[in-house]
Amino acid sequence: MGKNTVSRRIADFISKGVFADFIKGLQVTFGYNLTMHITIKYPDQEKWIPYSRFRGLHTLNKDEQGRELCVACELCSKACPTGCITVIPMEDDTGRGIADRVARVWKVDLVRCLFCGYCEDACPTRAIRLGREYELACTDLSCTKKERPELLKPQSIPEAITGGVVAKARFIKGEEGIRVEADLGKTRKMRW
Amino acid sequence: MIDTALIIEIILIVFKVVVVAMILFSLPLPLTWIERKVAGHIQARLGPYRVGPHGVLQPFADMIKLLFKEDIVPEKADKLLFKIAPIVAMVPIFAVFVVIPVGDKFMIPGIDREITLYISDMNVGVLYVLAIAGLSIYGIIFGGWASNSKYALLGGLRSSAQMISYEISLSFSAVGVVMIANSMSLVDIVKSQGVGFWNWNFLYLPVGPVWFFVFLIAAIAEINRIPFDLPEDEGTLSSGFHTEYSGMRFAFFMLAEYVAMVSVSVLCVVLFFGGWNSPVPLPVPIPGIFWFVAKVAVFIYFFMWVRFTLPRYRYDQLMTIGWKILIPVCLVNILVTGYMKIVLL
Repeated sequence: MGKNTVSRRIADFISKGVFADFIKGLQVTFGYNLTMHITIKYPDQEKWIPYSRFRGLHTLNKDEQGRELCVACELCSKACPTGCITVIPMEDDTGRGIADRVARVWKVDLVRCLFCGYCEDACPTRAIRLGREYELACTDLSCTKKERPELLKPQSIPEAITGGVVAKARFIKGEEGIRVEADLGKTRKMRW
Repeated sequence: MIDTALIIEIILIVFKVVVVAMILFSLPLPLTWIERKVAGHIQARLGPYRVGPHGVLQPFADMIKLLFKEDIVPEKADKLLFKIAPIVAMVPIFAVFVVIPVGDKFMIPGIDREITLYISDMNVGVLYVLAIAGLSIYGIIFGGWASNSKYALLGGLRSSAQMISYEISLSFSAVGVVMIANSMSLVDIVKSQGVGFWNWNFLYLPVGPVWFFVFLIAAIAEINRIPFDLPEDEGTLSSGFHTEYSGMRFAFFMLAEYVAMVSVSVLCVVLFFGGWNSPVPLPVPIPGIFWFVAKVAVFIYFFMWVRFTLPRYRYDQLMTIGWKILIPVCLVNILVTGYMKIVLL
């Protein structure tokens, strides 16, 4: 036992003298210096496309015939823990929705929303889905309340795309603000 | 009456001083960029990327920002000391470069005049470097004292304690080189090493490597870089002696820090890695200044690499390394070097 400790101490002393730990550390960092970075060049050149399970901005869906799936049952607004969804139903038999009852107002307050997805679970017709839109910032409060007509627009990333990739993107600075437009044709996997 | 040769000599010296000063003033610009790039890539990031291609214009953006920032002098600060401290920190480090030889002398063809690639060849070059570089610590102590802030004062005090501990081993390792080279002139030290890496002081076995590592460790401590950057330990001292500085005065401290890093790299190259000599004898003549710059660049990269590898030492560990390890190693090594010089040669 005693000899063992002594030899270990000698080995320890030698390894300190030749900077063994130090060299090991330098090797690790030099390895990282040579390997590729994991930075996504957002917003200038690239943009992250989330997985389809991602919970972003709400969308209201339509069926194949273009009828609104929402029947204004108000279950989503009941299920919402923060009470951020407002639904006002109305009667409509012109075929706008799948039933005679459709939403006159369907409004979500994004400042209060915590993107838990309970509204998705509550929806009996799968009308409401949390989509993959995540660039929700704006310079005033105008964009924090989203209304039905805007939410009914088709999603920027189709359901068919699995996501989890980085797409080439363009940074566009226009009159109506800035946006990052992803080119879904050119994507790469992340290296992590 | 007026000696033409003397006037030409003076003009040459002034010209060389201006060139060296311009280079040193502009060096921190690329160095900050390189340091941030090295930091980024070591941490699997990209570093600065948005200003100019690959972020090369980032230092200029930073410089413009620092120029336009308000120059705040704390109300209870010692105004005079506070204002001169950055200058005091900066000037001695520039003065070190007076004796640095970047290349051998050469003849200009045509006008038949000899040009030396150093400003002055002092016969006490090593002493001059150690003495002048030691002065720059006053800038840090003044800055820490004059700010009238506890963080800055503690940073300055730590810096002075660190300086006292490590200046000894730094000087001892320079003494070792002087013993090996039999001269205190930096030009002679370089010339004594000659072409071929096996002739360099770094491989003057068995003492050369020990001197080199002692010098390297002490030098890192002298220029306050990680793992010995106790004076600006941001975890406990917010940022040490330059906590209260802003704008251009802060930029002067940063400038001093980067030029100090360059000067230490240059000293490592001159004292241990053969200065302008090429590592292997080559059939094609490559100008010595190329080898010099290349070696200095390697050392600068090494300092950045170490900075993003090691954590900071604790203060008592710093003192232990300085007093209990480096100085005894130096003393033993001086004996061995002296024995080798007297008995073996």
